[in-house]
Amino acid sequence: MLTDQEIALARTAMEFALASGAQKARVTLNKSLMELFGMLNGELDKVTHALDRSLQVALFVDGRFGSFSSNRLEEEGLKAFLLDAIDTVRTLQPDPARDLPDPSRTAKDALTGREPGLYDPAYEELTSDKRRELALGTAVWRRKAELEKGFTLISEEGEYSDSLFDSVVMDSNGLFARHTETSFEIGYEVTVEDPDGNRYASYWWDAAPRLRDILPALETCSETAVRRAAAQIGPMDHPGGKCNIVVDSECASKFLTPVLNALGGYAVQQKNSFLLDKAGQRVFPERLTILDCPRNPGETGSRLWDSEGVATQEFPIVDRGVITRYFVNTYIAGKTGMAPTIEDATRPKVVPFGGCKTREDLMRKIGRGILITGFNGGNSNTSTGDFSYGIEGFAFEDGRITHPVREMLVTGNFIDLWNRLVATADDARPCMSKSIPTLAFENIDCNA
Amino acid sequence: MIHPKQSYLDLFRVGESQLDTLVAEALRHGGDYCDLYFENTTYGNLTLRDGIVNAAGRHIDYGVGIRVLCGEKTGYAYAESTAMPDMLSCARAASAIADGTSAFYEHSVRAEANGSRMVGRRFRGEPNPAADRYPAGSPWRETEASALIPFLKKLEQAVQVRDNRIVKIIAMLAWQVTDVLMYNSLKELKYETRPMGTVSVTAIFQQGGKTENKTVSRSFRAGAEMLTDRLLEEMAAEAVKGIDERFAARRPKGGRMPVVMGAGASGILLHEAMGHAFEADFNRKGTSIFSDKMGQRICAEGIRIIDDGTLKGNRGSLNYDDEGVPAQKTYMVEDGILTSYLHDRISARHYGVSPTGNGRRESFRYAPIPRMRSTYMESGNAAPADIIASVPKGIYVDQFSNGQVKIGEGDFTFFVKSGFLIENGRLTAPVKDINIIGNGPEALRDIVAVGDDLVIDPGAWTCGKEQSVPVSCGIPTVLVKNLTVGGE
Repeated sequence: MLTDQEIALARTAMEFALASGAQKARVTLNKSLMELFGMLNGELDKVTHALDRSLQVALFVDGRFGSFSSNRLEEEGLKAFLLDAIDTVRTLQPDPARDLPDPSRTAKDALTGREPGLYDPAYEELTSDKRRELALGTAVWRRKAELEKGFTLISEEGEYSDSLFDSVVMDSNGLFARHTETSFEIGYEVTVEDPDGNRYASYWWDAAPRLRDILPALETCSETAVRRAAAQIGPMDHPGGKCNIVVDSECASKFLTPVLNALGGYAVQQKNSFLLDKAGQRVFPERLTILDCPRNPGETGSRLWDSEGVATQEFPIVDRGVITRYFVNTYIAGKTGMAPTIEDATRPKVVPFGGCKTREDLMRKIGRGILITGFNGGNSNTSTGDFSYGIEGFAFEDGRITHPVREMLVTGNFIDLWNRLVATADDARPCMSKSIPTLAFENIDCNA
Repeated sequence: MIHPKQSYLDLFRVGESQLDTLVAEALRHGGDYCDLYFENTTYGNLTLRDGIVNAAGRHIDYGVGIRVLCGEKTGYAYAESTAMPDMLSCARAASAIADGTSAFYEHSVRAEANGSRMVGRRFRGEPNPAADRYPAGSPWRETEASALIPFLKKLEQAVQVRDNRIVKIIAMLAWQVTDVLMYNSLKELKYETRPMGTVSVTAIFQQGGKTENKTVSRSFRAGAEMLTDRLLEEMAAEAVKGIDERFAARRPKGGRMPVVMGAGASGILLHEAMGHAFEADFNRKGTSIFSDKMGQRICAEGIRIIDDGTLKGNRGSLNYDDEGVPAQKTYMVEDGILTSYLHDRISARHYGVSPTGNGRRESFRYAPIPRMRSTYMESGNAAPADIIASVPKGIYVDQFSNGQVKIGEGDFTFFVKSGFLIENGRLTAPVKDINIIGNGPEALRDIVAVGDDLVIDPGAWTCGKEQSVPVSCGIPTVLVKNLTVGGE
């Protein structure tokens, strides 16, 4: 997708920066093409065509650093932009920690972009008419009467989209790496109304790097959203208190992402992490292992290099409860003396344990509690790990759902929470770059 | 800033006749309406970390978005080049929404003049520099980074000297300047330049083995003249305010209770609990819980809720929205009665009313949709101290980080960074890091007291409904008699 001329322009930009005062430079060129067909109540409502390019330039000038980008890729204008950028960097204070990654750490095996197996040639065969046909076939509005059992479908809004993304990174230490991927996505949001006029909304989505893998979801996505919305009819107040909770794999990343952020080098170096000074320690239960699996061919989120061009590798982030390391990019390594790693988790995976396959297995194992199927707002304190989130879901007893719950909150601290993890299912969604199964925690504060 | 028209035409390398050519091409297969949105944005930023200003950036985003409306259906495409062949290709892509049966552009102009199609009125005339709501005195693009760096250093020092428990300070200055040229099939041509400056400072405190952080931000549609010593001192004082309480704070016992919302940032209540539900696209699609409430009482008599795009220099203000409609002050609720949704041109057509200047977009990459601007409630007549004194047991909240709403059900939440317990009408123990959840229509009905102290918060609020746009919010002290509070 990126043309030879565009890649040559990126190299020209880097060479021009080096000839104009920068001692080192890194250039990243991104290009993406997206086609989107939106449906509202069974009819085509929106068509979008999007082509984006951007050239990002990291400049290292006289011990100083700046980051610049432009989507105006005419050579002369770009050169004037770079001269202005170099002048701007010279006004900053020196920072010896700024540097390119050592060449021994950068990716050598990403030359064509297709090595991760995320490019589907079927993308090239898709025509506008075919896309329209795929999109229109996903709606259930015309057969809503078949679905409406005890409720009315008020609105059905969905989008089919596909995209091609191509990216190249190069630096003055000889780095050259490329990443190319296709993506096919379907998503629906629906609102239903019960006989008393109460409305309930829900959604469903799916995505895959290959067209053939998304086709089943095109058939079922909207109906799944309707089923999820209808399941919320008749919510009842819950007494709250200390409850067992089961967090569906669809939304479980809400609990993992803040942990990964707290392992980020910037947060640690700025002392703004609740996992400060915890590397090498057993902070979580021995049953918890979190791996980073960035190099599984064909799997969503796989990537051979990070934004600095550093080669990814599989390693345990949390090994049987022990935090193995922080994510330290070249800058933070220079600031702190820590060994550099990739800059962030690429494709983290919570390793399943406890023998349950499905969410239902897990609920049977736990017996009684609250099944969380979505979150409604909330936040966490990055320094302390305290969190409080609105939740939506269902009460369950004897492993079976009894009723939807309403206006509930779950509150706690992430370190304490993960120490209350008692079992997982083995049902992580393939469409998500974080591979997290449904999780079960015991004795969590729930308010209603 | 509003520069001469020709400067925008030159910037985007188009002539007025080419604008008509593009519109005609976009409507070649049919369609009722077409608009063109040209944008040239420059972003700049400086970061102070570990005592030195050691990172800078500048970013350029340039392009044109072309939209075709066919009834209420939208075709949208954009190009990052304004070369005529690229724009024509883009116009053809946007035209794909039309099925060949809709009116042509010439017809839409004639029909609109008869009041039968599209919008309720046309917005004639050229932008007036004398009425500009953000005439930047010191344009960001012309201000050297070296002239901005001292402000960040002084800000860091002003924060550091105020509290010896501070172990880290991160100060950031981000600015953007956006040139916009808009043209449509009604032959309306609008143009302007929108500045925005944002300063933020985060301080990390340590005490007795515990760590706390606090972030303060200020954001205005203004130029570099906003970087005053007064702003610096105000932010520094706020950065350390309440830290003793934050270290001492604990989670309250959760449950349903009265909540007193402090003046200012508590306006997030309006934004989440009702503002989104008043955005007319949700109502047009029937998804909003307020979609059948127009003209009905939704809260107590005397309450007025406004979405305002006319506040000079405010982060949410505009001269024109992103459809070329003049910004206005829109009363959504008057004396407790729902009187207006927030409209873009599509929803205005659907409801048979004039657009309210709420058609906004993140950039040329997005089609506009109804969005809030500065949303606030007018002052009532209660003294804030009396409101607190009226609560036997509840909480008082005054600092927030974010919120969210489920439009269909009206369930909203917002995250409270700090506040206090109220016991027997007095503020007692500090509380922090709790989420509050409620239902929009119920919360509106449950507002039982409104203070006389409206404050519009000057922080860097950004609304993320599908696209990110700058907004602001405000509210006087109010008492909501029943909300669910997270806790232990």
